[in-house]
Amino acid sequence: MVSLFFCGIIKTVKQKAKINNGMKFVNDFNLKKQAKELGVSVWQTPGFLFLVMGVVSFAVMTATYIISKNYDSPEIVVISESIVAIIMLIVGNGTVRIVGQLASVNKLKSDFVSVASHQLRTPLSAITWEIELLLSKNKKGLSERQAKSLETISSLSCRMTRLVNDLLDVTRIDQNRLILRKEIIDIVDITEKIIEDFSSLSKARNINVFFNVNKKRIPKLTGDPERIKLVVENLLNNAIKYVVKRGKIEIKIIRRDNFIVFSIRDNGVGIPEEQQDQVFEKFFRSDNVVKYQTEGTGLGLYISRNIIEQTGGKIWFQSIENVGSIFSFSLPVK
Amino acid sequence: MSKKKILIVEDESALNQALGEFLTAENFEVISALDGAEGAKIAIAKRPDLILLDIILPKKDGYEVLDELKSNDSTKDIPVILLTNLESAQDIQKAFEKGATTYLVKSSYKMQDVVKKIKETLKM
Repeated sequence: MVSLFFCGIIKTVKQKAKINNGMKFVNDFNLKKQAKELGVSVWQTPGFLFLVMGVVSFAVMTATYIISKNYDSPEIVVISESIVAIIMLIVGNGTVRIVGQLASVNKLKSDFVSVASHQLRTPLSAITWEIELLLSKNKKGLSERQAKSLETISSLSCRMTRLVNDLLDVTRIDQNRLILRKEIIDIVDITEKIIEDFSSLSKARNINVFFNVNKKRIPKLTGDPERIKLVVENLLNNAIKYVVKRGKIEIKIIRRDNFIVFSIRDNGVGIPEEQQDQVFEKFFRSDNVVKYQTEGTGLGLYISRNIIEQTGGKIWFQSIENVGSIFSFSLPVK
Repeated sequence: MSKKKILIVEDESALNQALGEFLTAENFEVISALDGAEGAKIAIAKRPDLILLDIILPKKDGYEVLDELKSNDSTKDIPVILLTNLESAQDIQKAFEKGATTYLVKSSYKMQDVVKKIKETLKM
């Protein structure tokens, strides 16, 4: 039944893409939304200033036409055109100043996140390693309760490290500084290891993970091994997190022409239709997901999309609320 | 079989100590340095089997240490694993150009994984 449902969805994806392009144009002039995203007043948004420029240009052209038609005196025409030029200069200057301020605030914010994140990583590494040492080599003498506490601290410290790493990646993406390594990678091997790493979590949540691949058909790829690993981890982690009851996750890797296509399908909570166009946006978390899982930053899919697109592939999904989702990405075979 | 000798050059004493203790428990002989100049000096004097080297270090940074080791006949063949929290592509490229064997980002690796990389590098 789920398969039939997804077949239906695929047919409507192209139509939706067309509607989405139209919506994007409308969104460019959604001044309230723009003001909220940029943290400025409505009258300071680039959309508003663009509209003001348009209105002023139109008024100016009309006024010049009327003046030149009704007055023969060249002095009046010169004076009116000078006034027009001054108005254009003032509005134009205001626009440039505000856009400049926005860019500088954005850079300051990115620099702050970058410095803060770098400085956080060293003490976080120290905490993680100290606990690892205690739990693996110096466990003797620890009570069961103490060991359990340390395991909790270790898992929380790993979570904080992931968050710091994600923030650093987002800063790099925003500054166009996310540079990926180019190495030979084995996507099947990476996926198998990640499934193994997540096996305790999936078992604890009563979820069966199936991996379907014909290894001989999947060639080695070129990419950044750590980042591609991060993408697969993000997708599997999401699938596990958002399966509410006893669940099933199917991972498939196939070759399609000059690409390999990775897909992961779950029978989780899905994404509400009205929010699907925001899935790859920074900090996006769908309303139904927030109800089930408070943990999560909404950065994983934003980062994943950038990594995949920068590697020359594409990432997409199909989903229906309360039925499940299929997230897929393609990577070029070079 | 004699124990493999590992030199850790790391200025953060908590990390240096934790890694040293972990490697000792994994049956390695460990020597350590808390700055780049001391690290290069110890490497030349003791000729370890492998060096774990941070990049941001007092006195001499990791790249300077790499240059010094690779230009010295007695240390040029010692494998060097860079262990740092810097991870820009420029840093990674620079490290390999200067002769690093492997590049690991500390916050992404557990010590157990670092040991695996050491064993792989030393073909143990």
